[in-house]
Amino acid sequence: MSSSSQALEYLEQQPLKTHTKLYEQPSTVLAIFRCMLPHLAKTLVMAMLYMTGPFPADDLDAWFRADGKKDKGKALTVLDRLHIMTTAVAVAVTGARTTTYGLAPRFATSLREALTGGGSHRSFGVPASTTGAERVTVHFLEQYATKQWENILFYMVGSTVGLAGGGEGVGGEVGEGTKALLKMGEFIHIAGRNVRITKKGFEFVLRDTNAQVWSLLIVYLQNAPALGMSETDVLSFLFLLGSLSIGQDYTTSTLSPTQLQMLEDLSAFGIVYRPSSTSPSFYPTRLAVTLTSDSGSLQQRSTTTTTTPKETRGSATEKGFIIIETNYRLYAYTNSLLSIAILSLFTKLTTRFPNLVSGKLTRDSISRAVKLGISSAQIISYLQAHAHPQMMRNTTILPPTVMDQIRLWEYEGERVETTSGYVMKEFESEKEYRDLVEYAESLGVLVWRSDARRCFFVDQIDQIGTYLQRKKK
Amino acid sequence: MVKAVKGTLVKCDASIKAMLVDIDEKHGHDFIIEELDEEHILVKDTKIAELKSRLQGMMKERLKEPESSGSE
Repeated sequence: MSSSSQALEYLEQQPLKTHTKLYEQPSTVLAIFRCMLPHLAKTLVMAMLYMTGPFPADDLDAWFRADGKKDKGKALTVLDRLHIMTTAVAVAVTGARTTTYGLAPRFATSLREALTGGGSHRSFGVPASTTGAERVTVHFLEQYATKQWENILFYMVGSTVGLAGGGEGVGGEVGEGTKALLKMGEFIHIAGRNVRITKKGFEFVLRDTNAQVWSLLIVYLQNAPALGMSETDVLSFLFLLGSLSIGQDYTTSTLSPTQLQMLEDLSAFGIVYRPSSTSPSFYPTRLAVTLTSDSGSLQQRSTTTTTTPKETRGSATEKGFIIIETNYRLYAYTNSLLSIAILSLFTKLTTRFPNLVSGKLTRDSISRAVKLGISSAQIISYLQAHAHPQMMRNTTILPPTVMDQIRLWEYEGERVETTSGYVMKEFESEKEYRDLVEYAESLGVLVWRSDARRCFFVDQIDQIGTYLQRKKK
Repeated sequence: MVKAVKGTLVKCDASIKAMLVDIDEKHGHDFIIEELDEEHILVKDTKIAELKSRLQGMMKERLKEPESSGSE
């Protein structure tokens, strides 16, 4: 799952009220536009941004080739769920009904403001005016973010595989607040002094850093009202963070009380850095500025983000250290306890040298991992992402036999595939069935259909419901 | 009138489906809402975890697993 799709999913569940409030901030709107919307939806928004009147649905249809109907449906779905696009039905004097689309006014205004500048909003952060002598370097911020985040990961993984309290750079203390959050998100299970990682936690650890940050922040968001913080405030601050640039310090004087409280928590995660808890300024770290971009945060220093200048490579989770032979033996050139802990989730490690651990992928080790909720795809993608440069030279990075075997081992344990949702049935006529099933397909929510029995299965029902109601009228 | 029934769609091959139906029958039809076709059944959302673990247990009982080739 890509990182922004998680955030999108969360955002889609928010009510209209939250959306309207969010769209008051140009930074939020730009962030949503930049990283949440599918490309087609972006095109539609851009096309409609400077339109003065409503846009007839027929005209929109004319833009699409007949075979693009499905993509169009998906784009419109997202825009509709985020309340970016509004639909209106106008009845002409002749009685003919025309559907028109329009952008939500707040959204359009904010996006225009974000794109062209102007307005007196301070939505993109205000740099601190006093450039004190104690400015910190980008390199320091990198290290800080990496250290804090690896601490959290190691806290989750290390205690499960029995490497806890190892020291050696990682394994430092994790704040109580963070622990509580991990527990609330069901990433870990705490019983007395014992900490066990859960199925969800494994998925969490194997994701890329950006996705991890979002997962944790979404738990944080869900918990915000309980701490007396407004969800909207928290969300818009996160989007604001995504638009800041690294190495610059920003003043805290323009922040709301909720956001000041957040700074405390975020610095515990390593998302922002504050020289002291009373300091009048804060620095965003790499974790923060990549929140709303699709490029990787800690491991992959990419140059695609406009907000982040090219930086020195951090040693965080060093890239490319795993070699796998066709006989399932695995060698990992690493001395990072975190990497070793992660590898030991699905590998039978046998030997550890100062700069190398070696082991073997076995049926037992893989099926143990699968039982804990790690999928073969996750294992394979982890191994591929961290393969040694020597292996990267091959056309298929991992030996195909090993990949196949991992999948087969998983399949042995997991014989069913489940999707939660709704069965639609008891249609009155073939025509009614066809109509609805095709609508479901165009929305991309159709999972299974049986024409003979006239029923089908969808994983989301909201829009089908509204569609049916609209048809009834 | 169209009806929507909430549940979890389980996709599996026919042999596994037979086992699932068997489990369902042995436990007073507490799991399955509807059998949709040879490879799909609809299961109660709340019961899916239990059904999965029962299936695991049954497979362990019925299928002899090949010895793992774990020679170092």
